Amino acid sequence: MKIGQDSILGLFFAVTGCVALWIAIQYPFGTAGRMGPGYFPVIISSLLVVTGICVVIRSISASGDAFPAINLKALFMVPAAVVVFGLAIEPLGFLPAVLLLLVLSAATSVKFRFDWKASAGALVFSGLCTVLFVKLIGLPIPILGTWLQ
Amino acid sequence: MDIFNGLMLGFSTATTFGNFLYCFLGVLLGTAVGVLPGLGPIATISMLLPFTFGLPVDTALIMLAGIFYGSQYGGSTTAILMNLPGEASSVVTTLDGHEMAKQGKAGRALAAAAIGSFFAGTVGTLFIAIAAPLLAGLALTFGPAEYFSLIVLGLITSMVLASGSLLTALGMALFGMMLGMIGTDVNSGAARFTFGTPNLLDGLDFVVVATGVFGLGEVLANLENERSRSAGIAQVSSLFPTREDWKRMAAPILRGTGIGVLLGVLPGAGVLLASFSAYALEKKVSRHSAEFGKGAIEGVAAPEAANNAAAQTCFIPMLTLGLPGTATMALMIGALVVQGVQPGPEILTQQPALFWGLVVSMWLGNLMLLFLNLPLVGVWAKLISVPYHYLFPMICVFVAIGVYSINNSVFDVYMMALFGVLGYFFKKVGAEPAPLILAMILGPMAEEYLRRALLISHGDASVFFTSPLSLGTLIVAALLLLSIISPRFRKVREEGLQEVD
Repeated sequence: MKIGQDSILGLFFAVTGCVALWIAIQYPFGTAGRMGPGYFPVIISSLLVVTGICVVIRSISASGDAFPAINLKALFMVPAAVVVFGLAIEPLGFLPAVLLLLVLSAATSVKFRFDWKASAGALVFSGLCTVLFVKLIGLPIPILGTWLQ
Repeated sequence: MDIFNGLMLGFSTATTFGNFLYCFLGVLLGTAVGVLPGLGPIATISMLLPFTFGLPVDTALIMLAGIFYGSQYGGSTTAILMNLPGEASSVVTTLDGHEMAKQGKAGRALAAAAIGSFFAGTVGTLFIAIAAPLLAGLALTFGPAEYFSLIVLGLITSMVLASGSLLTALGMALFGMMLGMIGTDVNSGAARFTFGTPNLLDGLDFVVVATGVFGLGEVLANLENERSRSAGIAQVSSLFPTREDWKRMAAPILRGTGIGVLLGVLPGAGVLLASFSAYALEKKVSRHSAEFGKGAIEGVAAPEAANNAAAQTCFIPMLTLGLPGTATMALMIGALVVQGVQPGPEILTQQPALFWGLVVSMWLGNLMLLFLNLPLVGVWAKLISVPYHYLFPMICVFVAIGVYSINNSVFDVYMMALFGVLGYFFKKVGAEPAPLILAMILGPMAEEYLRRALLISHGDASVFFTSPLSLGTLIVAALLLLSIISPRFRKVREEGLQEVD
């Protein structure tokens, strides 16, 4: 059996629903007239499980679209660049974090070249962002973080 | 307050220097994101939302609204010149608009779109001024049962209109409701689905989810077909419609406006349905129906009028009932709530300057758009040719800064990265994320109203069927669900939504 779009999505729904249901049944359920914090979550997560199972069943009975190829490089690099931004913004500060994010995410593109033009562009853009967000909009983020001061 | 005094108040609010400037900034940004394929209004608004927290509430809303309806104008430019929908709602515009461009009539197609949009925008804002106070008066009589039924209708409409199967959309909506439940339960104070981390006690910020799924997820998906992202841009010739054009587009603009105004109010329907319906209707009634798909000006004017009219009137349920009809309106509610304004029937009496200022600013914004889009179309055409490998790192930077600045929380940034991956996953499996975002906002509201309705009735579920309004709403919802099972409607829906992908 080839793995279709639907079987993966269905499994995602069913597994998420199961986990949510398992957590939700530990909250007080209450009655319809006096609902506890668990009432609505139990209903919704059960429905999610049922929907997920239906989607899986549909994927078995009908020939759906196959799961398309994934751009692994982009899928890994871009979120990683965002995480690096998160790691950098407090210790290193605004300007270095933006520069890191810009360069790391740009490196994902097939057209990325590390030359002086691109580097200058990245520096200028990070500088503009710093002026715009920290100076003009006034976000309370230090331009250079604690490590660099 | 009567409409005249209201509009006067609105004029004095909307024409203050700050509001006027931000309105202009909003429509300018809106046109830009509308023109750029791969960057939509939802992503832009969620990206910019955190930066509006420092603005006065009316200024913030005026700018965000400008981005939204501005993107409807910009979307048509890309559709006509490049045969690429800048926005989902301008998909039908590509059919005839680009044909016209190929025949050297790009300027006249752009003019038809802009004039139709401007007329529709004017009627749409007038309709808000008249209908919103009436609906707000009516809404004061709504109890929790009516609200719950309206929410159900909104969710079902958004599912029926999502591309892909209904079952998939249902799953997305349920998943969105689960996400909405994360955080502290308002009634019992119990922490739900927080996985023991204090970061989730206040709930998962939907701006984080929206920027992740629509902003970052879109970037990931676009990076895939990077090499194939080049297309010719049609040359823009004379912008003046001929006398013949005027004659042919007057009635379609009127009909498109009518459809758009009405469908915009329907919860969950949004602008997409309006432009599709207007196109379908024109194709049926037009004397030139044979020309449709081959460059009929009616096929540009009517859907563009409809989507812009709907873009104005979909503010009505959001402002007067506090119920968002679309994902974009859900973001607007978020913007208001952060500023301490609870949208609902009382907004007209408690925040008259906000309401009327928004209405008048929308009209002013439409006027600005007419001038921004027609004489300056050459500038926008240049913007289309900005290569994506310059654009997407900037998008990444803006989403990251935006999300971080909500709470100065690094945790939010990581969550956004996670939802970016999820957004890409949803795209890959063919699940449209719009119902997810809407359900994330509507889910907790649904729970609250269900709880209140059943508390009042002592657990008797028949309250939803004894109130005529609630019953009527539920019947409409049921009919919508039934209609999708009917093969004829199903075919129309599949055809219509196929174009979007």
